[in-house]
Order: sequence, then C-alpha cells, then structure tokens
Amino acid sequence: MVEEYYPWGGEFTTCSPNGCVAVVLLNIQYTPPESVAIYGRLKTENIGIEKIVANTISNPHIRFLVICGDDIRGHRSGSSLLALHKNGIDNNHRIINAPGAIPYIENLKEDAIKRFQEQLNIVDLLGEKEKEKIDKIIADCKRKSPSSYGAPYIAIRIKPAMTVSLTDKRALHSKIVINYMGKVEKRGV
Amino acid sequence: MFSFTKEQKVFDISGTSIGGQPGMYPTVLFGGVFFKGEPDFDDAKRHIQTILDISKQTGTPTIPDFFIRKVEYIQPIISFIEKVLPRKYPFSIDIIEPSIKVETLELLTEKKLLSRTIYNSIHIGITKEEIEALQNNTPEMVIVVAFNPKNKSPDGKIEVLENGAHLTERGLLEIAHKLGIEKILVDTAALAPDENSGAAIAAIPVIKEEYGLPTGCAIHNVVEKSLWLNDFPLAKKTVDVASNNSIPLFGGDYAIFGPIENAELVIPLIAWQDILVSEYAENYFGVTPVASHPRRKLLK
Repeated sequence: MVEEYYPWGGEFTTCSPNGCVAVVLLNIQYTPPESVAIYGRLKTENIGIEKIVANTISNPHIRFLVICGDDIRGHRSGSSLLALHKNGIDNNHRIINAPGAIPYIENLKEDAIKRFQEQLNIVDLLGEKEKEKIDKIIADCKRKSPSSYGAPYIAIRIKPAMTVSLTDKRALHSKIVINYMGKVEKRGV
Repeated sequence: MFSFTKEQKVFDISGTSIGGQPGMYPTVLFGGVFFKGEPDFDDAKRHIQTILDISKQTGTPTIPDFFIRKVEYIQPIISFIEKVLPRKYPFSIDIIEPSIKVETLELLTEKKLLSRTIYNSIHIGITKEEIEALQNNTPEMVIVVAFNPKNKSPDGKIEVLENGAHLTERGLLEIAHKLGIEKILVDTAALAPDENSGAAIAAIPVIKEEYGLPTGCAIHNVVEKSLWLNDFPLAKKTVDVASNNSIPLFGGDYAIFGPIENAELVIPLIAWQDILVSEYAENYFGVTPVASHPRRKLLK
C-alpha cells in the first residue's frame, strides 16, 4: 500500500490508508493520531515540498493537509507550502510570493500542482504547537468525512537526461577523461 | 588521486591557503558551530581551542563556521569571534535568512572583520537586498553553492554556476565576479540519498577541471539524511566522520564536516588522507607539498 500510494519516498509515517488528513510537521514535537493517512516533517522549501505534493495527490482519500508548528527558519518551508497551494508557480518554476530562500518546484509538472490545489484543503496551523488544539482540528476534518477525490495521481518525477554514451569506460563524467594514473583532462580538447 | 590539466587557483584568507593541485596544500576543514538553542559560548570556546590545537599539531587548517539563526544572536556571535579567535584567524558565517545575512555583513564591516570572512553562501536564492549588501560589505571569500533543484548531476551544478539555469538572471560565478569577489570556493551541494547524493563527489573533479576553482562540499549532510543509519549508532558516527575522506580522494580542496564536536576525529582522519594523496601526487605528478602539509608535519 505504501509503495502504491506514496511513490516519492521521504521521511514520513503512514497510518490509516483511507484517512482524509495528512499532517505536515514543521518545528514541533507532536505525533498525530493514528486516524490520519500520513504525517512527516518538512524541512526544505523545494525538494521537501515536491515530495509532499507527490505523496498526497497519490492518495485520493487525503483531502486535508494540516500544516502545524513554527515555520523553519531561513527556509520558511511552511509558508512556502501555503504559497504554493494559494498561488502556484511562475514561469521560472518559483513558487509565487513564497518567502523561502530557494522556493523552486523543478521536478513536478504543472498538472500535479493543479491537482494538489484542487484535491487538498489546507488547514493553516502555522505557529500552532498545542497538541489538544491540533488533535481537535484533525478530528473535525475527519468528521467531515469527505469523499475520495477519485483516481490516484502518480506524479512523474521530471528527470534530466543524465545517461551519456561513452566509449571510454574509465570516465567518471562525460566532461572529463581520467587516464590510468589519475591525470584529469577535459574530454575532446 | 588526481592531477588536473587546468591550472588550479589557490586562494589565501588570513594566511590559510585553499585550492591548487591535489597534494600541494592540505585539505581545509570547516567545523560547524551551530549553537543549538541559546548560544553556549563557553562550550564553543572549548571546541575552538581543540581545533586550534589539533590543526597546529597535524597541519590541517580548520576554520570555524558560525551558524547564525536569529537576529539577536548576530551581535554576541560576532563579539565572540572578535574575542576568542586569534587575531587574523579566518572564519566563515553560515546564514540562511537573507535579512540576517544583510545585518551580519553590515556588522562585519563595522568591526573591520571582512578580510577574515568567508561568506557561506551565495546560491540561487540570492536576493536583491543581499546583492546590495554584498556590494557595500564585500567579504574576502565566498562559498558558491552549485545547487540546482532541477538537475542534481554535475552538469546541472555547472549550469547554475555558468548561467543560473533560468533560476537566477546570471550565472552564480558571474554574480560573484560582478561583486568584485575573486576568491570563490565552489560547494557541489551534497543532497539526500535518492537525490543523486553521489553527484556532489563526482562533481568535484569535473568542476575543478572546468574552472580551476577550489571545490568541496558538506558531504556529512548525506549521512544525516541516511535515516537507516539510525539503527547503527556506532557505524553512523564512523560514517559521518569517514564520509569526509571522499572529498580529498576525489581531488577536493575543503570539507564542511558538520558539528565542530567531531573535530578530534575528522582532523586526524583528513591529515591521514592528505598524506596518502600527497605521496602519490609527488611521486607521479611531481607535486611538492607545502611546508605546513601534514606529510611534512607528521612524518619526520
């Protein structure tokens, strides 16, 4: 089930596969209840956010994304995630109005972001660290028992073409040649 | 153990040299002074004395890398640097928040410390305010992080250095040059496992042959992200320390080794690795180590 729903991997814990809540933990010591579908920590405002998007839209039962705890200093990952849901990305793939240092979404297609915006309702608890309050809000979300969004969306990770065809098997990289004693030269010069 | 065809630049900061052909200068280490929670300056002072002593003994230069998390810590940390580090000793400042970067640069100017400062770092998230602050308060040396979120291979790293990979208007190297900064250290941006973590090491010889600039990275970050190692605490510590070896082995010039608490393990390890590299580099490539090299200091 985990492999089926959460194909991008990452630092997260899975609980109830049909749960409608996913919880993003920022600077907070808190363990969400078993009723949630998935929870995990968000650290970076780029790769971390991409994983959250990919791993929530892959499970159509998840309809609420609860973001709690103090924001991550410098990275401002929580605020950047909120900005992605609200504003999307610009032509440079930068999250519009995100306050983070490097808020770029480079490995997801726009369709995946659109799906994230449509499937997920954001519950903004930025700065909230009280267990009772967060538990209550998660319970409220669960009580709404929203219907599944439909089919899972498996986001394709955009990968640059990295495989190069080299005749020299000693090479470390296409730009350089290393001879058998360790002398490095630029290839093709 | 490599030798490069491209001429390799060597930069000096306050008497510490970084760069060159492998085997000539010792690998420079950066130890992170993180100050978790309220800064504990007594503890930091002890660790700094340790790195000064072991560096002197081994010949491996070790520079403290001060992580500044909050505005209210800028003043006390800079005062600590002024008071505790030997006069003219280099240091680096590691800051994420752009506004804290700006304020710290201004204070470093006021305290006349910029000639000893390594700015950690310029990356694709650079802001206009940061560029302006760097223009008015130019540090002696900068670390340029070749992080490209779209392409984590050595090619992607070169792309951000060269043209900004459409993430910045100009390439990161041009941005640094336009600021009048010539002493540039390239950081190959070590990423988590499953994010092409090996590319940070493979990129070292590629970038050195491309630009001739001193190159290294914080490879220990990959260890921190290898959560499976939490099941093997003893091995985790060993891997954390040993991971730094791959940098000089691949021709790199510096390693940011994580918490300064690891200094007693990392510094001798890198001195040992440098001796191996130097022996081969001299025997085959004719690269003579400088007088301060661990090979000269430790092998009588």
